[in-house]
Amino acid sequence: MTDMNDSPSHPDEAAIHAYVDGRLDEAARAHMEAWLDRHPDRAVEIRRWQRDAQQLRAAFGGLSASPVSETLDPARIRLRHRQRVRARIALAAGLLLALVVGGAGGWQAREFTVANVSPPMADALQAYRMFALHPHTQFDATQQHPGELQAWLDRHFRNAAPLPDLGVTGFRPVGGRLLATESGPAAMVLYEDGQGRAISFYIRPPSPRGALPHGERRDGRLAAAYWSGNGYNYALVSRADAPDMRVIREASLHSSI
Amino acid sequence: MHDHAVDDQLREMLPRLRRFAHWLTRDADNADDLVQSTLERALSRWNSRRDDTALRAWLFAIAWRQFLDGKRRARRRSRMLAFLGRDEAATQPSLEREVIAQSIVHALDRLPEAQRHLLLWVSVEGLSYREVADLLDVPIGTVMSRLSRARAALRQLADGETAQPPVLRLLK
Repeated sequence: MTDMNDSPSHPDEAAIHAYVDGRLDEAARAHMEAWLDRHPDRAVEIRRWQRDAQQLRAAFGGLSASPVSETLDPARIRLRHRQRVRARIALAAGLLLALVVGGAGGWQAREFTVANVSPPMADALQAYRMFALHPHTQFDATQQHPGELQAWLDRHFRNAAPLPDLGVTGFRPVGGRLLATESGPAAMVLYEDGQGRAISFYIRPPSPRGALPHGERRDGRLAAAYWSGNGYNYALVSRADAPDMRVIREASLHSSI
Repeated sequence: MHDHAVDDQLREMLPRLRRFAHWLTRDADNADDLVQSTLERALSRWNSRRDDTALRAWLFAIAWRQFLDGKRRARRRSRMLAFLGRDEAATQPSLEREVIAQSIVHALDRLPEAQRHLLLWVSVEGLSYREVADLLDVPIGTVMSRLSRARAALRQLADGETAQPPVLRLLK
């Protein structure tokens, strides 16, 4: 053992890392280097760590030059957050009203308020946006022969209404995809007409709101028709073009009988 | 503090927050989603933030927790899909990796996720050991020993990568 007076004391792990990362002050670094000179085997390893850290900085230290999307701007996010808080306050006020008024009238007020905050089958529209508008959708099941997607759907949703037959209008089922929703497992079956148009059939368990009366609505460039039956909620979603909307209206009315 | 002053502070942090998120998600779109949810949470909790916490470490901690929550949700989802008879892992798109002719980059890529994060946070982002300990909710001594293991593992992988005798051995 060398004399402790002329030998630098063994640095602790924290000092070694701080040396590697260049976080030691002048005196501590000089002390570390003196110690490394006396411990060449450790010095080899620690200097390699130091070089690795420098290479990592060189390789990953750049900040992305891609422009920050508008949706990430704090002011925009703040605005959306406020809108959501207001919607929640409106919902709470609506529930309070429902409690005060009571009875059927109050219940209707609640329905009305909830519908305002989250329109029916918004997830079906979301699924359409995610999959129907993407050219490279990965399906869980595809249809090579008639009836395959119906069989696939039957395995996951017992006693559900059959897939609407849109053959007359030129739309044929091409693939199905399972999804997870707040209300439980859902599935979307995509129909295409071979000319780039798509319609989706969507099925999931009902939300706590319960069964849906038959209805239709537009949401931006999309349209949805929805209904309930056999213990599930359904929706057909298309682009909001008159011919496609007619297809989903007629098919949904036919299915909801 | 006025809203616009807060927004300016956050805006200034955006590039680093995006880089941090990108290291976690390894995908530009998912990284931006993570940044967005982090900012939403940061804004809703701004008033409960202690002034002495550095903004960067505070934002990273939020992003880290959101990332972990997201991973837990993804695990629940894949369990549910497995229950429905579908193996999600088989259909997940493989991560697009930029092939960079640097052994260190490739070696880092093959490190376990936790070690990779640790090295990026410390060596590239320059988070203090204390900040990392707070982020991971472990004692600072644990950060030190994990860092030693991560550095040794990275070196071992990089050595295997180049399969060249270490240059420094010639000095002996």
